[in-house]
Formats: sequence, structure tokens, C-alpha cells
Amino acid sequence: MSSEYGEPIIEITHLEKSFGDNQVLTDFNLTIRRGENVVVLGKSGCGKSVLIKCIVGLLNYQGGSIKVFGKEIAELNQHALDELRARIGFVFQSSALYDSMTVRENLEFSLRRHGKHKTKEEVKMLVEEMLTNVGLLHAIDLMPSELSGGMRKRIGLARSLVLKPEIVLYDEPTTGLDPITAKEISNLMLLMQQKYNTSSIIISHDMHCAQLTANRLTVMIDGINYAQGTFNELSSMTDPKVHAFFETI
Amino acid sequence: MSPKVKEFFNEAGEIAQFAGRFFREVMLPPYEIKEAIRQSYRIGYLSLPLVGITAFIIGLVLTLQSRPTLVEFGAEAWLPSMVGISIIREIGPVIIALICAGKIGSSIGAELGSMKVTEQIDAMEVGGTNPFKYIVVTRIVSTTLMIPILIFIGDAIALYGGFLAVKINTSVSATLFFHQVFNSLTFSDAIPAIIKSYFFGFAIGLIGCYKGYNSKKGTEGVGRSANSAVVIASLLVFIIDLMAVQITQFLGFL
Repeated sequence: MSSEYGEPIIEITHLEKSFGDNQVLTDFNLTIRRGENVVVLGKSGCGKSVLIKCIVGLLNYQGGSIKVFGKEIAELNQHALDELRARIGFVFQSSALYDSMTVRENLEFSLRRHGKHKTKEEVKMLVEEMLTNVGLLHAIDLMPSELSGGMRKRIGLARSLVLKPEIVLYDEPTTGLDPITAKEISNLMLLMQQKYNTSSIIISHDMHCAQLTANRLTVMIDGINYAQGTFNELSSMTDPKVHAFFETI
Repeated sequence: MSPKVKEFFNEAGEIAQFAGRFFREVMLPPYEIKEAIRQSYRIGYLSLPLVGITAFIIGLVLTLQSRPTLVEFGAEAWLPSMVGISIIREIGPVIIALICAGKIGSSIGAELGSMKVTEQIDAMEVGGTNPFKYIVVTRIVSTTLMIPILIFIGDAIALYGGFLAVKINTSVSATLFFHQVFNSLTFSDAIPAIIKSYFFGFAIGLIGCYKGYNSKKGTEGVGRSANSAVVIASLLVFIIDLMAVQITQFLGFL
């Protein structure tokens, strides 16, 4: 499997994370190679979102190691962490669009901070390119409150891609959407992965999304990487804990 | 120590830490000047109608209510001086600060709470922006600078309300009224009031931001943040006022 893809860009080893007495991640291990798209499956509340928040330094972890592009996240200072974050896109479950800004301003916000060398014209072109990618150029001057759930997800995706990141972390990108819109979003993710050659970790329990977007799946149970493999490998496993995820298809 | 008392001291400590972080971050670049100006417009300019109407009514009612008593003692001529000193020293700053605690404190608490719950603060951090600096520092700076200005304008409107109330019953001219008001006022009346109004502004911004920024998950948390921001900020206004009176007295201004 590893020969198909490039060098490791995210290396998670023996990761431990707890909230008080609640141990969420006990000994989690995962490696993502350049160009690889991995879906992390798991029940609600098992720590999937916690995992990707640890990867971008939004949450601290108690034990183990997370290396992104060879740099240990816990050892980075704020400036180094910000530089690293510019290379990572994050699509939030709730889209997390800034309510007080228009769609255009939402996309420009990160660009103005990370892409200070860019001219006004370049910023405008990048924003329009991203909105064209997600089919929402016409919504450029709308406020987030005027958008539907599916549109918000698309804008969230466009915003995360505007800095042309090498890694995109998706936190339940299709949750709360009807099956048709969910499929559209999954297709869009796939298209963006191919167009911008990104690697990604996709947190999901939507098996259709997983089937469409993943090169590899990993099943998180009790805070560990319980099983991993391709969609076909995992779906043919007889282990009841793993099989339970594929019963819904 | 009972859990509630412990919780109180814990929260007081957290607010002090939050304030400490504000003073650290406000000094360090980058300075979010554009956002601070935008917040000043929202906090200052957009609060003017409410502050203006309330201040006008306060001045009017205070004068109308005080007049019969002063007439009874034959001291009606003291009315402009009494109204002026009351408004500038105490009633203007405190009432306007309380109104701002309600309007601005709750709005900041709810806005930041909602940003926290919908992961907008996390999104900002992942996007390479220091959310504390962009959201919290700008709002606290704006309330600290804008609330004294609102109090100044409110005081002026309240005095005008007082003049209209006098005018209803007598034929006193505006020149005479305001001459009497300003004759009775000294710097020792105005300066403590101006200084304490900066503290009111700081307290309102700090508590609104603290409550919103630390809002717990869920919409219920947003409501709670807004509500407790108003309650604690209002309480702090009175505590600061009490301390200001003590300090003013100690320094011999009263």
C-alpha cells in the first residue's frame, strides 16, 4: 500500500488524550502518506473529532506523538504552528463560517493573514476560483445566514482550500445533509482531492462517503486503531465490531 | 469550603487570568486596528439612541421629581446645581454603564458564545488568526474607549432633559440654567466620574468576552453566557462605583 503513495506527512504514534477521567484516545496509531485519503470510522463520541483537533493543535494531548511534515505538534511555538496550519485545511462539522462576514470575506480572511504577499487582484481571483470549484460563485456576496446547509458545507470546503493546503482534515462533512446533497459533497471532496492533489483525513460515519472518498479506512474503537484496510477488505471482515459499520449499506 | 464558594473563587481567578492575558496581548503586535474600529462603531455609535433616550428621560424625571421638595424648602434656585452634580458625579455614569452592561455585555456574551459553540473561534485559530486578539482584545479596547464617550454624551443629554423639565414650570433661560449647572461643578466632580467610566467600560467588555469565550457547548450555554455577562457586569459596575467613592473620599475630592 505504501509504495502507491509518497512520504509520510502525518505520523501519529501511541496517542493518548483524556478529558478528566474520561480517556478518549488510549494508544492510537496512524500514518498518512502524501496523496492518501484516509477515512476514520467510529461511533459518535469515540474521539474521532478529538483526533483531528489534536493534529492541528486545537487540543493538547497527554501522551504519544503527532508529527506533521516531520514536526512534533506539541513542541511547536505559536508562530511555527501558524505556519504549519497554513498547509492544512480544516472543514468543520458545523462549517464554522464567520457569521458577521460575507462569503467573500470568509474566504479572504485566511488569505489576508497567510498570503500577505498576494495582491488584491490575486486574492479576488483565488476566492472566485474556489467558489467556482464548489459551484457557488453566485453566492459570493451572501451572508452565511442566507445559505442552506449544503451551501454552507461547500463554502466551508472552499474556505479550507483557498490556501491550497497539502492536507485537508474533514470533520463529518456529510452529517446533517440529505442523501443527495451528501453524495454531492462527497463527489466534490473527491474532485478537490484530485484537482489539488491533497491528502486527507475524513472523519465520518457515512459509509457512502467513505466508499467514495477513501483510499484506506481505519476503524476507531475504544480509543485505538482497531482495524484498517481498504473498503473492500474491511467490509469482508467477520469481526462483529467492524462488520457493524458496513451493515447500514 | 462549600462547592459554591470554591466555584466563586475559581471563577474570580479565571477572570483575573483572562484580564492578565488581555494586558499581555494588547501590547503585542499585530494590532487589529480595523476590527477595533468596527467594534467601536458597533459598541459606541449603535448604542447612542438607547443611551440618548434613557439619559434624556433620567434628566427629565430627576428634575421633575426633585423640584417639589426643593420648592417646599424654598430652595428651587438650587435645582440646576443639584441636578448637575447628581448627573455628572453619579447618576449619569452609573445608569448609562448599567444600560451598556445590559445592551453591550449581553450582545458580546451571546455573540462570542455562539461563535464558540459553532466552532468559529476554532476555525479562526486554524486559519492562523489569534482569536483572543481578534475577538477579545478588540472588544475590550472598544468598550473601554467607547463607554466613557457614551457617558459623556449621555450626561449632556440628561442635563438638557433637566433643563426642559425646569422650563416646563418656569421661564428660566438655557443660559441661566447651564450657567448655574457649570458654576456648581468643579474638576473634582468630573475627573473621578471620567476615570471610573473607563473602569466601567473595561469591566463590561471583560465580563462579556470572558463569559462568551468560555461558553459551554450548546445553545443553552449561549443564553447562560449572555445572561451571566449582564448580571456580573452590572454587579461590577456597582462594586467599582463603591470603590471609586471610597477612593475619591480618601483623596479628599468629596
